[in-house]
Parts: sequence; C-alpha cells; structure tokens
Amino acid sequence: MAYRSEFVSVGGTRTHLIRGGRGKPLLVLHPEFGAGRWFPYHDSLAARFHVVAPDHPGFGRSSRSEWLRDIDDIVFHYVELLDELKLERVLVAGTSVGGWIAAELAIARPDRVERLVLTGAAGIKIDGVERFDLFLHPIEETLLHLFHDPARIGALLPASPTQETIVQAYREAGSLARLAWNPYLYNPKLDFRLRRIRAPTLVVWGENDRFLPVDYAHAFVARIPGATLQLIRDCGHLVPFEKSSEFAQRVSEFLENEAS
Amino acid sequence: MIEFFYFHLMPWPDLPDEFDRRHPSSWVTLSNRIYDPDRGHALYNEYLDEMELAEQLGFDGLGVNEHHQNAYGTMPSPNLMAAALVRRTTRAKIAILGNALPLRDHPLRVAEEVAMLDVMSGGRIISGFVRGIGCEYLSLGINPTDSRERFYEAHDLILRAWTEEGPFCFEGAHYRVRYANIWPRPLQKPHPPVWLPSQGSTETIQWAAQRRYPFVSVFTSAAQTKRLVDEYKAAAEVAGYVAPPAQIGCALPIYVAENDRRARTEARPHIEWLFHRGLKIPAHFLLPPGYITEASLRKFIGTGLKHPSELTFEELEAGGYIVVGSPRTVSDRLSEIRSNLGFGIFIVAGRIGDMPREKALKSMELFAREVIPRVRNRAT
Repeated sequence: MAYRSEFVSVGGTRTHLIRGGRGKPLLVLHPEFGAGRWFPYHDSLAARFHVVAPDHPGFGRSSRSEWLRDIDDIVFHYVELLDELKLERVLVAGTSVGGWIAAELAIARPDRVERLVLTGAAGIKIDGVERFDLFLHPIEETLLHLFHDPARIGALLPASPTQETIVQAYREAGSLARLAWNPYLYNPKLDFRLRRIRAPTLVVWGENDRFLPVDYAHAFVARIPGATLQLIRDCGHLVPFEKSSEFAQRVSEFLENEAS
Repeated sequence: MIEFFYFHLMPWPDLPDEFDRRHPSSWVTLSNRIYDPDRGHALYNEYLDEMELAEQLGFDGLGVNEHHQNAYGTMPSPNLMAAALVRRTTRAKIAILGNALPLRDHPLRVAEEVAMLDVMSGGRIISGFVRGIGCEYLSLGINPTDSRERFYEAHDLILRAWTEEGPFCFEGAHYRVRYANIWPRPLQKPHPPVWLPSQGSTETIQWAAQRRYPFVSVFTSAAQTKRLVDEYKAAAEVAGYVAPPAQIGCALPIYVAENDRRARTEARPHIEWLFHRGLKIPAHFLLPPGYITEASLRKFIGTGLKHPSELTFEELEAGGYIVVGSPRTVSDRLSEIRSNLGFGIFIVAGRIGDMPREKALKSMELFAREVIPRVRNRAT
C-alpha cells in the first residue's frame, strides 16, 4: 500500500505523520516504541481506511516541545492536528500510551471520535495488579516484556545502535517521562471519566500481556459503556506488532461495522 | 591558600556476599532488608566521631552530602548530619555538598534549614546545591525531565529567601509561595557561600561560573577534572573575571599509609568496594529520561569513557580518580594537581567504602600531619 510522509505545523510544533489508504479517516496513535515508521499493521488497515499515523510530540520525527507537561497537552495537540488536517470526525485506534491518548481524546472531544479502539491501553491503574516499569529496565529487557514471542522484538530494535539512535531513544524516553513518570503511565482522573466515552469502543488485548496484564482489559471494558473485548491468543502487549494481520482484521471488522 | 575538607559518604559497608553476582546495583532496587539499624547506630556514631576528629587534626572543614536509598552513602539528610556536627565542633566550616534541590518538594525548607544551621554554627555553613544523581529520581518519584528547571527555580527562591526582606511572593513553574518570609535569616552576609559540586555538564558549569559559585569536581579523573575546570575558567572569562583558586575545588578518595606499597595494599579492597559496589549503577539508573540534555548525552557518548565502576584499581589510580600512597607521594600528587588546576579547595574522601575505622583514622592522621603542611608550604 502506498503511503507518504509529511510534516504539519500544529501550533508551531512540527508534527510528522504518515498517511496511506483510502476510506474513512483512521487516526492511529503509536505506543511507546516504533514512532515514525509504517509497519505491516498500518498497511493492512490502509487497505480499508485512510490511515493517519502521527508521531507524538518528541517522538519519531515530531519535534520535542517544552509545552508538553502531561496527557492533556497531547490531547489538545491532537485536537488541533485534526483541525489542521480538516478531519471533523475520525475513527481512532491507539496502542499502549497511544491508547491512553485515544481514550482521553474520546472523553475530551466526543464530537470528534466516531469509533474507538484501545489496544493494551495505558492510562489507568488497578490496585494490586503489577505493571512492568519500563523506566527501571534497560530497553532490551523492556522489549522482551512487550512481546509474548521474544523473536519479535527485532522489529523495534535498531540493528546496531549509533550515537543518533541512542540520542533519539533518550529523547523519546524523555517525552514519555513527561507524560508517564509519576503517576506511572496513568492519569488518576481517567478511571472515573471512562464512563463518559460515547464512541462505540473495542478493547483489544494480548492474553499474555506482561506489561499491562489482561486485568486492565477487563477494567476498561467494565468502565466504558458498551465496550466489547477482543482477546488475542499467544500474544503480548504490542498486539499490532506481534499479531498484525489478526489485529488489523479484528479492528477493521469493528470499525466497518459502523462504517458500512 | 588551600582549604582542606574532610568529607564523608557514610557508606553502608555490609553488602551480602552474593552482591556482585546477584544485584545489578547498590541503588534503587537493593533491598533495605540488609540495613541493620543496630549496626547503623554504631556506624553513624563512628562516622561522626571521625568528622569531629578531623577538626581537631586541623582540617579546615567537614563535608556531608545527600544520597537516597542506597548502600553508597546513608545520609539522606545532610542537614541533619550538619546539625549533629554544628554542636560538636567549634572552628571547622561545615560544607553541605549539597542539598539535592529538585528532590525536595519545598525549597523553603532548604532555605530555612541552612539558615538555622548558619545561625546555630555562627556562620560556618557552606551551602552546596546539587541535582541529586539519576537513581534518586527513581527512588523518590521525582520527574527527571523537570530536574534542571526545578534546580534553577529552587535556587532562585532560596537565594531570594536568604537575601530579601520578607514577605515576598514567588510564583514559579514548580514552586509557588505567596508569603516567603523565612525565620531565621542566615547569619553570613549576603548569604552562606553557595558551592556547586558536580560531575559537570556544560550548562551547569556555565551557570556556576556566571554566579561566581565555586565549582567542585567530584570523583572525576584527572583528565576530566582538568577539562571541567578549564571549561569553568573559560566561562568565568566570558562573564568578565578570572576565576580565583577559592572558586575551584576537587574531591577525591585519598588514602595515605607509611609507604606506597602498603598504601596500595591497604586501600585496594575499599577502593574496589567504592567503585565496583557503591557506584555499581547501570546506565538507565544513572541517566533517567531527561536527566541530562541531548547535548550532554552526545558529549558523554562521544568521549567513549568507561564508567569508573568498570575500571580496575590500577586504572583508577593511573586515571587520577584516586590518590593513594605515602605522605610524600600523596603530597606530590596533590601539588601536581594543584599546579594543573589551581584549586583552592581540596576535599578528602577518607573513609572509603567498607574501610575499617583503624585504616581510616591512620590515613586521616597522616594526611593531616604530613600531607596538609607539605601541600600548603609548596602552595605559598
């Protein structure tokens, strides 16, 4: 599938995005890793939708922004991006931290989010369920925890780290830390607000998630009105990377249900 | 003139036998299960006794510092240790090296405590400010991406609290207080000297030089120290003055014994403890996200330097991370460093790692009796 890379200025912040495919616009929000690249799952989704995959501020090729302090800032950034792109109403699919942003966006601007897919979404905390702390571990170890099949981590690791890939990874970790250092990967207010989501919602989770255990999937489903759950077998946290065709198929089915 | 300080980390020496094999670090994740408060009671008192003795032996000052949740240094509140020393000493300056400003939730607490110490001690306090090391942002849950901003902002608030008549209003990005008005005010005028102990990012060095805050390199190699001090001197020149020796300091682990061979034999296991165990810190603990700037990270990668925890005793000695030897050898080495750097502040880390008390006392006495006078005489 053909795709193209472009830059958009969002309130002065140079924002990189990749677009591909035709159909209803689908905003795809990336997880902690893999920003700025078009992966097979993007390609599969682009067979049925117009995929718009921006890099979060300070990730991939989007510039780092001093205004980025917490999750609200990034939510308003994406509202502004939708304005810039003249996308009045979109389908939204986000993974991990991208899922957190997607949920917040659906709450802040229900008028802009037609359907919502949360995959391994961060953003809430359940007492007594341990989450893997990616700030406490070297990246190789974190990646091992993100996949069920360790052979898959290659997709996200640079073959041979250079000074620039190290600096880039450090910049992205810094941008993530702005959002997620403390509280760690959640917004204490989100849990209660999830009930305000109006968009039909699909929650997708890897059954073998060792980063945010599957209890989180059930928590999202319990709190979001009418949400449905799709568990993926033999799969870790990063479902779109580990089971990309199954992921794309489930997500497309759900999104087209409304689109048709 | 040179001022000599006796500096203590107050380490927790009793690491389990399997530490080297089983624990990635003596910071953050090493369980405090191994901390024994009864032994801690004995150690704190030994350590404080040593510092009191250092004053009697003729050191100009005593140095304490702040570290959290680790075996390297069990002094989470340097101000408490300074307070213990204030009442048991009469002459020595007490250098807090330093309060880790961004780790505190309220900078006025630092302003107040240091002012209290200054008043109690009759103006003997030196107030170092640091950011705290990367690990401490994990241990205390402070966002490392805010570190620099919090440091500068806390500094500005503290300096105003010390020098301006209150109440005044301070509204920053991280700290806000509408009626800052500390009691007591510090005794020294305009305020207790502010020092900047650091391993030296460019930004920090320039900031210190612009404010004429003494820069103290801490446990860096001879080559690094030289580079940092040169950077500081250059920044001072840009700011329109020549940095005097009183603004340049150097802190190193030192061990003195009767002769070189004996000094090396006696110091080796404790130096190894300090660097291989106390400073066993993986990169992702040392440099949490945003803790250093991208420019500093590039510089750090570019130098290709090994972390000192990866160096052998011989490499540490050859690199000038430590000074070990007879009184003559140590004096010669310090005089040499002095002529290279032009420092006026020298800080001795004497009780190194798991060094037993007897060795530490012997080394301290030899240093005070035989090294200090030699270096002083040559310095004049």
